[in-house]
Amino acid sequence: MTPSAPAPHVDVATPERVALSLPVAGIGYRCLAWLVDASLLFFFWVALYFVITLLVSDVLGAFQSLSGLTQTLFAVGLFATQWLYWTLAEVFFHGQTPGKRALRIRVVREDGSPVGFLESAVRNLCRAVDFLPVLYATGCITMLLDARHRRLGDLLAGTVLVREEAIDLDKYTRPAASEAAAQAMTATAAQRPLGAEDVELVLAFLARAPGLAPDVRRRLGARLVDRVGATLTDEERAQVLQTPEALESFLRTRAQAAH
Amino acid sequence: MATPLPAFVARRRPDWDALQALLARQRAGRLHLEELRTLDTLYRRASADLARAQTFYPGTDAHRFLNQLCGQAYGAIYQPPRERWASTRDFFLRDFPATLRREARFVGVSAGMLVLGLLLGALVVTLEPRGAELLVPEGVRRYVAQGRMWTDDILSVAPPNAVASGIATNNLTVTLFAFASGILLGVGPIFTLVNNGVLIGAVGALCFREGMTVGFLDFIAAHGPVELSIIVIAGGAGLMVGQALIDPGELPRAQALQARGREAVKLVVGCAPFLAGIGMVEGFISPGHLFPTWAKVGLGLSLGALFWFYLLRAGRTDAGATRDAVPEDRASSRLR
Repeated sequence: MTPSAPAPHVDVATPERVALSLPVAGIGYRCLAWLVDASLLFFFWVALYFVITLLVSDVLGAFQSLSGLTQTLFAVGLFATQWLYWTLAEVFFHGQTPGKRALRIRVVREDGSPVGFLESAVRNLCRAVDFLPVLYATGCITMLLDARHRRLGDLLAGTVLVREEAIDLDKYTRPAASEAAAQAMTATAAQRPLGAEDVELVLAFLARAPGLAPDVRRRLGARLVDRVGATLTDEERAQVLQTPEALESFLRTRAQAAH
Repeated sequence: MATPLPAFVARRRPDWDALQALLARQRAGRLHLEELRTLDTLYRRASADLARAQTFYPGTDAHRFLNQLCGQAYGAIYQPPRERWASTRDFFLRDFPATLRREARFVGVSAGMLVLGLLLGALVVTLEPRGAELLVPEGVRRYVAQGRMWTDDILSVAPPNAVASGIATNNLTVTLFAFASGILLGVGPIFTLVNNGVLIGAVGALCFREGMTVGFLDFIAAHGPVELSIIVIAGGAGLMVGQALIDPGELPRAQALQARGREAVKLVVGCAPFLAGIGMVEGFISPGHLFPTWAKVGLGLSLGALFWFYLLRAGRTDAGATRDAVPEDRASSRLR
């Protein structure tokens, strides 16, 4: 089940002498994460606006007399929105803003280690340029051109966004339906265990089988049985192919067979 | 023949689950010392499992899972040193001014650009009055034509647009942009610096022609020196980035960019608190007539002098003594 074209990834050589390779987050993940963050900031500003107008503005006309203060507040707030929010979140939440956390992506250095303050500061200061001329046009073009989907800020800071996948390990250990399994076990016992590739193939089929159209389910199952159950006699094969349950149970037992 | 994949997963899975649970606790910041040791042990085991999976089960979900697990644990274990107040203080006492002095060339060139723009703007408006129509925003021109400062009634009919886009009220955006646009081959900072210089020069010359020099000075004096210095420094940082792109030296371009970027951003981060401070001055003191002009001029000049005294002197006295003890690259890696 290896993908035909290698997806972009970050290679990390750890001091333990193991090569990690982390999948890179593409432009879609990044846009969605940004949308989440931008919406959060937007609601923050709306809330702040209402609080200020309710508490301050109309009671004492303080906006008029404190024009300097509001101006300063606005500049500071802009600063916070543009830069502080992203940088502090990335530094203190292990490379994740709330939006990135929701999308399960993370900023890391190019060697896979966590980002520090300076890197985060650089990549977020560069938002100003990546935003040009509107709505991250520059950043998006750079992301499309770059093999690892980095925007200009990432290039300057030497950072990259990696993705965390939800991987279900249960599929390897999920028990086969017991009654049919015992039956199939006799047929399985004599055969040698499958290679990792066949195991993945079978498990991927089993995970998807309930959602397939009945005839597709039967046809694919039969082909898999032929592939992994080469030593079955004709009689055993007919028995296995009788119902989808028996077929899939056989496949699962086959995939999980130990030595 | 290796262990079948499901058997391998079934046998090793408890360790992986334990490691995941520990990582979740570590992220929440609740980890005891013993747990930390366990984390380390489990990480090493998972690394060994990953090596095994790479050999026997490449491309499977188990391999991907281990990859990710080890990546997370690696990130948790090899963290950059935590930011502490001591290192922040050290940054402002030594690292920031020292970086600025080291990169004085860029800041000098940046200042030159701004002055060039200033002279250009002032010259054009002085020699050819109609040049103001081109260079000065219309809102500002309307006010000046009426003989009033546009800062006098910022919150009246027109929104403070003129000021915002005019004389560096938008200092924050200008500063950020002067730095960040350095990645556009250094063209960005040059444009920003010259453009702002021209704007200020043109407005100044226009005010001078209309006999409003005092009003102009009145507004700009208190915050101008420090604010323009900060813009010049940020522009210098942007030029550093541009230079790394155009002339990376012996390093590959991407690496040169990262190395110079780290240095350059120190200049911008160092300026940030001063930018906030001068923003307060600009907000409270500069507009209106709460303070007399001489007080504003005095304040502006002394703030500017203090700022540059700090930049040129801070950390210099003990720099010679500690330079041998603390190598330059370690000193600069402190604020990670």
